[in-house]
Parts: sequence; structure tokens; C-alpha cells
Amino acid sequence: MNIPQELKYTKDHEWIKIEGNSATIGITDFAQNELGDIVYVDISSVGQDVKQHEVFGTVEAVKTVSDLYMPVSGKVAEFNKSLDGAPEKVNSDPYGDGWMVKVSISNAGEVSGLLSADQYKELIGK
Amino acid sequence: MIELPVISKEETKKRKPDWLRVKLPIGPEYAKVRKLVDKYKLHTICESGNCPNMGECWGEGTATFMILGNVCTRSCTFCAVATGRPTEYDTDEPARVAEAIKLMGVKHAVITSVNRDELKDRGAEIWYQTVAQTKAASPQTTIETLIPDTKGNWDALYRMIEGGQEVVSHNMETVGRLYRMVRPQAKYDRSLEQIKRTREAGKRTKSGIMLGVGETKEEVFKAMDDLVENGLMILTLGQYLQPTKMHLEVAEFIHPDIFAMYKEEGLKRGLKYVESGPLVRSSYHAERHVHVPF
Repeated sequence: MNIPQELKYTKDHEWIKIEGNSATIGITDFAQNELGDIVYVDISSVGQDVKQHEVFGTVEAVKTVSDLYMPVSGKVAEFNKSLDGAPEKVNSDPYGDGWMVKVSISNAGEVSGLLSADQYKELIGK
Repeated sequence: MIELPVISKEETKKRKPDWLRVKLPIGPEYAKVRKLVDKYKLHTICESGNCPNMGECWGEGTATFMILGNVCTRSCTFCAVATGRPTEYDTDEPARVAEAIKLMGVKHAVITSVNRDELKDRGAEIWYQTVAQTKAASPQTTIETLIPDTKGNWDALYRMIEGGQEVVSHNMETVGRLYRMVRPQAKYDRSLEQIKRTREAGKRTKSGIMLGVGETKEEVFKAMDDLVENGLMILTLGQYLQPTKMHLEVAEFIHPDIFAMYKEEGLKRGLKYVESGPLVRSSYHAERHVHVPF
């Protein structure tokens, strides 16, 4: 199980990579593994301000649909359009080509409440 | 790359409805189950079948163990368990399952298995030992066994079901007409006979049917009538979901209201208990089925 040390995590299995005021968000290796083959990533929130813990999209796997939750409040600036034709990138490279959205963070104070890699590992029993 | 609007339209059409939304698993109970499964080298149908309810069940500290290996001699088109010639025959498995169930401390355990058609006894002895040893280790734990069809080997059936389990489940999976497409090595009538013999042996009988495979309502009603006639007490109805892109495609997403209608209809036709809903799986809420009166 690949849980990179340099990323932050949520209990809902999103990872977030913070660079200054902007952040990249996706789902973890654990999440993609539990979901199975991803068949569709639906992000309907581009251009919108979404609060922390609110839904910014859904990820559809062969058997299920799951909501995606914002790790921190912010404006959804960009969706990884390459997932439209190739959602399997979320399975094969969850922290790289499988990223989902880029966000501009509106409340930097929320960052300190995110989980570290070790805290997330404990949560999933790894 | 050339854009193909026809394909994207097709994909839109197949998008899953909202009622199939689930949460991903987390939490200490989930982690505990995960550790036990790994430590005792056990297989679960939750994992092997890509079950959508795994997060919920494991998060409540329960799992459905799959014994006799994780390679099946059948090639049912809906099922994610691998088909092949099984190599595992592990006489220590019953003890490991019993130990894991004891440590999990579950009130109700569900055990299933792959088909072992290549074994003379169809795996019945391992089945018997698993149930008997689980009962010995956890006398308070009730057990449901979801057994394969024994291909008409009734001695094997009787051995499988005499370990002390409270519920014996055998899934019909679909209506009679679709057997060749869905369960090519099984026979509708043979499975009905197995249920009948199970009930005659004094066991609480349970079965499950997947909907959305291409069956009609009339065919579902007919299956219900056949099951009642053969002594079935408990029926589960759930939405078939394709476990991987390689498996049988979903023909239809059935609306929750239709599931409710089936439940009512099943009870009217003489079933004692019907669990019916899109995300219902045969072992979902299984603890509620232990006390269904004969």
C-alpha cells in the first residue's frame, strides 16, 4: 500500500498536495483498491466554491458510486479532463496521473486538521 | 484520438443511479477485521466478490469467510471469484476460521465456499469441520452457511449441513431461463431439489436471486413460487452489479420501489421472510434471518 509521506489525507480517503495557496486532490491508493475498476469520475463543481467536507464530485467504480469530499474549503479551479477518457488512471496512478481536481484554498487554517500519512495508515489498519 | 460521441452516449446511459451510492470503509473495526483476515490467511467473499457493502459490514466487525480456497471449478458469468483447477485443500482451514470468528466476537457468522466439483465429497468434510469447530470455539455464535450445489451428491449435502448451523443458504442466483447464461454448470431444478432436501433435513432454508440480469417480473414470481413449493423460507433480492468489466453486463438498474413490490409479492406467495433492495446481498443483515420460525 502506497501512502506517500509528503501528502495530507482525509478520513474519506482523499489525498491533498498543498503548494502555497493551491492544492491538488485525488483519492488514495487504498481507496482505489477498495473501489475496484474506476469507470467514471464526475466533477460538477469546477468554478465553484466548495466548503470543507462538502461533496465536489463522485467516483463510479464497477459496483458502486461514492461521493468525493473536499479536504479543505476552496474554489475548484480545474478538473483532470484526461480522466474522462481514461478513468483507469485513478487505479494505476492515484497520486500522479490519476489526480482529480486543483483547488485554490480559501481557508489555510483548515490544513492543520488534515491527517498525516501515519495517521491515515492507522485509520485504514495498515 | 478521434472523438466518438456514440460511445460517450452509451456510457452516460449506463451510469449508476443514486441509490447505489456507498461510503468507503474506515474505522477501527474495519482495521481489526482486515488484520484478522490477513493474519489467518483467510479468504472472504467480500473481497473476492468486490462487494459494495464491504465497508459497512467490516466496519461493524463482520465478514463472510470463503473456505476451500479462492479458485472455483465453476465459471458463472456474474461472479468475480477466479475459475480454474483448485490447488488448495487445507485441513487446517476449519481451525483458522473458527479462531478468527472467535477473535472477532461476532454474534452471527456467515461462511461460504467455492465449488469443488473435482472433489468426491465436494468439500463437504471441510465444510462440516469448519462449522463444527466454529460452534465448539464460539458456542454463542449463530452460523449461516451459504453452500454451493453439490451436483446432486446428496450425501455430500447432508454432511455439509450437519455441523450445527442455524441457516443453510443456497443461492438460485437467477430465474430458470437465464441459467445457461448466468450459471452454465448449474441446473435450476437441481438447485431447487437441494433446497427441498435441506428443508426436509430440518434446516432453515434461504436463497438469493440477483435482479437486473434480464429477467421479467413474471419469471421472478415463478421462481418465488418454485422456491416456496420446495420449502424455501427466506429469500434475498438485490441488484446485480458487474464485478469487473470482464463480467456479464447489467441489463437493468431496478428501482427501489420495484424491490419493495417484490418483497410484498414474495410474502404474499408464501415466503416467510424477504430481504429486498438494490444493495441487498445474500449475507447482508443475515443475523436477522436466524430466528425466522419454521
